Amino acid sequence: MKDLLKALPWIGPAVALIATVVLFPVGVMFWNSTRDISQSGLDDGGVGLANFATVVGFQYFWPILGRTVVWVVGVVGVTLLGSLALAALLDKSFPGRRLVRMAVIVPWASSVVMTTMVVHYGLEPYFGIINSFLVDVGLIASPEGYGWTRHPVTAFAWAMVVAVFVSLPFTTYTILAGLQSVPGETVEAARIDGAGGVRTYFSVVLPQLRGAVSVAVLINIINVFNSLPILRVMTGSIPGYDADTIMTMIFKYLQNQRQIDLASALSVIAFFVVIVIVAVYVRVVRPLKEV
Amino acid sequence: MAQYKRLGGIMAITLAATTGLTACGFGGSSGEESGDGATLDLLVPSYSDATQGLWEDVIAGFEEANPDVNVNLQVESWDNLESVIATRIQGGDAPDIYNGGPFAGFAEDELLYPVEEITSEETYADFQPTFLENAQVGGTTYGLPWIASSRALFVNDALLEEAGAEVPATWDELLESAKKVSELGGGVAGYGMPLGSEEAQAEAGVWLWGGGGTFGDADAITIDTPENLEGAEFIKKMIDEGATQADAGASDRSPLFDIFVQGKIGMQVGLPPSVGQIESDNPELEYSVHPIPTKDGSPFTLGVADHLMAFQNDGDKQEAITAFFDHLYSADVYVPWVQAEGFLPTTMSGSEQLADDEALAPFLETLPDAQFYPSTNPDWQAADPAFKALFGQLGGDKSAKDVLAEIQAQVDAG
Repeated sequence: MKDLLKALPWIGPAVALIATVVLFPVGVMFWNSTRDISQSGLDDGGVGLANFATVVGFQYFWPILGRTVVWVVGVVGVTLLGSLALAALLDKSFPGRRLVRMAVIVPWASSVVMTTMVVHYGLEPYFGIINSFLVDVGLIASPEGYGWTRHPVTAFAWAMVVAVFVSLPFTTYTILAGLQSVPGETVEAARIDGAGGVRTYFSVVLPQLRGAVSVAVLINIINVFNSLPILRVMTGSIPGYDADTIMTMIFKYLQNQRQIDLASALSVIAFFVVIVIVAVYVRVVRPLKEV
Repeated sequence: MAQYKRLGGIMAITLAATTGLTACGFGGSSGEESGDGATLDLLVPSYSDATQGLWEDVIAGFEEANPDVNVNLQVESWDNLESVIATRIQGGDAPDIYNGGPFAGFAEDELLYPVEEITSEETYADFQPTFLENAQVGGTTYGLPWIASSRALFVNDALLEEAGAEVPATWDELLESAKKVSELGGGVAGYGMPLGSEEAQAEAGVWLWGGGGTFGDADAITIDTPENLEGAEFIKKMIDEGATQADAGASDRSPLFDIFVQGKIGMQVGLPPSVGQIESDNPELEYSVHPIPTKDGSPFTLGVADHLMAFQNDGDKQEAITAFFDHLYSADVYVPWVQAEGFLPTTMSGSEQLADDEALAPFLETLPDAQFYPSTNPDWQAADPAFKALFGQLGGDKSAKDVLAEIQAQVDAG
């Protein structure tokens, strides 16, 4: 107890900060999820778990949950493969490497909404440059182009492309840092033993990247799961719920239907989904354990 | 390790304390000081880039005439407006005067002043009676009709002439003319049908009411009815027979009207401000404005009125609010505002002043036949987003009957 009192001046501000900006809002979210809140924002009393029943009983809930899984697994998986390749390339020395390394940061440095809007406008029929290009090379027959962002499947696929694009820099740099900590002797030893390039990479380098890769994947899972802006821009004009993930559904409850109580209930569900995913991941992969 | 356990204990106590705090709710809002130096908070949406300047002029004029009242202006985009007002009400910080769409929910929660308590008799008597009727909840007027708009069919004369098509008055003529224009090819569409989330309820009104249906009244919202089904099925027919642009179900109104302005769409329903948009973006466009085609050719238009409303809050600013509204609705202040934004006035004195404005004439003419959204029914606040989210499915594989049933179900669920 004495130690703790001594430590308090140092940890106190941090604890207070966490309590006000993390724990308090989480508490409010849990509280709201059990209330009946009118559209104009008045609290009309507690309803227990009725909001959760409504949210889970919604006929599109399970497809939305499934799509969320596709979204997270797809984006994180492709990002990881792309980043491993990119990091391996950037680790080699070649003329202009510094410029290429800086170029990789660009999607990270620009606003996600802006990046998505650029692609979204490119995909617009009549005037988008991606559509114009596809029409000009003869891949699309109709002269105004194809409504990529008007169909659930294509809009969702393009959203995943953008999500991979903006996730690459962080993942690449994390893995690149991991690559630079791989001791040269281990690679040299493998070479002397007669291992080829592929064998060396998979049997010697990759196992030593375990720490970097697993941290990158963990952070990506949380980021991608919680990502709203890309899907919001890409699939925003699509009617119905055939391109929604949990995050866009929360947004629709909140913004379109203005049901703060249902939005809170779904947020609580999302909160637990993330916690479970992270707990399982941490348990199985042990990303923080040394190799 | 023991230290961590203790730390955990402290965290648990902190957590319990904070959740306990939230359990108290947000009851304790701080009321502002009343008295001579009253401050009015004004929350308004942005109709155009000019909106903020127009309000600033109004406020400057008002503050000069009433030096003891301060007016704070907050301008939000339409996209954010409704979440801003909900957040402010939840936080016990409602604005004193609010310019928005639906207000029945606020009236039902007893948050608003009845209009007669916050306007002088002259101001109240100057409103068009039809608009006042549309602003009543349970016989009491809660919204001050602010600006109105009606819809009309914008026709690209050059395209129709090239295709040898007539300006339509009925649905069948519209289908025929639109198909002729679509057949011109080159990415040209006959009829611009925006069923995307931006304003799906408007296009729904144009078709469903044009076929004799309604969205219900102050007592019940009725979407899934045989009369409405007729309009919804004709929408599907237009889409299936290739009379509209591609992907009608996910096309938003504003971007689609841009395409009309570029001269790639034969006909589309537009608003009074659309006239100004064409003038500034593509004055070369050969177009004309006509009544909206209906099933049997009878005259009809979709009218929309946005309202001002006054929140009671602590109930001590009634006088200042009354002074503000009387200033605002005086013809010299009101008419230039409405005219600058390109909308229609809701007061009788305003209409008289604008009677000989040529651009507004086709819209003022149709105003007597205007039908309104049942916005005084609190459930309309659930119906409006249901249309936005679901009506566009008519552009897909779902049957018209299923789409209407799904909208009705979402409305009934609240």
